[in-house]
Amino acid sequence: MKPSFRLDQHPRRWPQPLSAPPAGYFEQLPTRVMAQVAAPTRPWQLATWLRQAPAYVRTSLASTLLLGTFAASLWLGAGPARQPSVAAGLDGVPQEELVDYLASEAHLDLTDLAELPARPLGITHHYLHPSAPELADALDAQPTDEAALL
Amino acid sequence: MEDHEILAKFQDPASRNLAFNQLVRKYQQKVYWHVRKMVIDHADADDLTQDVFVKVWKHLGDFRQDAQLFTWIYRIATNECLSFLQSKRRKFFLPLNDVGAELAAKLEADPAVAGDEIELKLQKAILRLPDKQRLVFNLRYYDEMPYEQMAEVTGTSVGALKASYHHAVRKIEDYVTAADMRGYSSDDAN
Repeated sequence: MKPSFRLDQHPRRWPQPLSAPPAGYFEQLPTRVMAQVAAPTRPWQLATWLRQAPAYVRTSLASTLLLGTFAASLWLGAGPARQPSVAAGLDGVPQEELVDYLASEAHLDLTDLAELPARPLGITHHYLHPSAPELADALDAQPTDEAALL
Repeated sequence: MEDHEILAKFQDPASRNLAFNQLVRKYQQKVYWHVRKMVIDHADADDLTQDVFVKVWKHLGDFRQDAQLFTWIYRIATNECLSFLQSKRRKFFLPLNDVGAELAAKLEADPAVAGDEIELKLQKAILRLPDKQRLVFNLRYYDEMPYEQMAEVTGTSVGALKASYHHAVRKIEDYVTAADMRGYSSDDAN
């Protein structure tokens, strides 16, 4: 039977028996270390920080990023913004300009007037507010072809 | 260059890089071998050694000179090693013995121990120790570091370190003896 192993009777190998690093390793190591510490770039710092951050920090960051992406896509995908209505656009035009346009530029004929009762009479009330005399004057100024009204 | 000269030059932005370069050159081998004994693999030791010096660079400005510079660097290196081994175990869901077995496999492949059977058994026995106990064993047995300095490096009391080293030696002797017995029995069977 073999005797028990005693560490203090075993010849100590110093240094610990491990193969040496590659030739020139210790000549190059200071240069490599200095390259890391001398001018670190921001992406490198961020990557290192992320790599060294605790697991719960990385998990919460990933969750926040995922949630943020989802919320952004939901918000962006909600459909096109509503266009302002024609009536709302006309509300911004001064009354005088509207009347001038209708009186000078617009070419109303009797057909328009004949079709007018077929439409809701209040169609222009939200942007055109003529008084009764103004309306009568405007209509009287138009040439009439009575045959068209028959 | 003495440590106090390195520290003084490091405080001056004009000579900071030069001082740090001197520091790396002065301590690189000690740090590397301290790390290498814990992680065995050269590539891992290389990465960790660089990480240690990057941390030293970042925190050297805050270093209080009530401790020795080398003890402080050793402490950073020790923490890096223990964190590395712990994260490796956690990442691959490995129990303690599996990491020891992986390190032992790397050691067996190392030509430095090839052919020396009893030395290989001793090294395998050391690798079976828990990380912190292995660290204590390496510091005492191979580096012959005084217990007081070990206490500064590990943040453990001298009494606890002595007990830890004593238990480590017992475990190693038991393991090598048992391995010898198994080998002896198989020799008999043949």
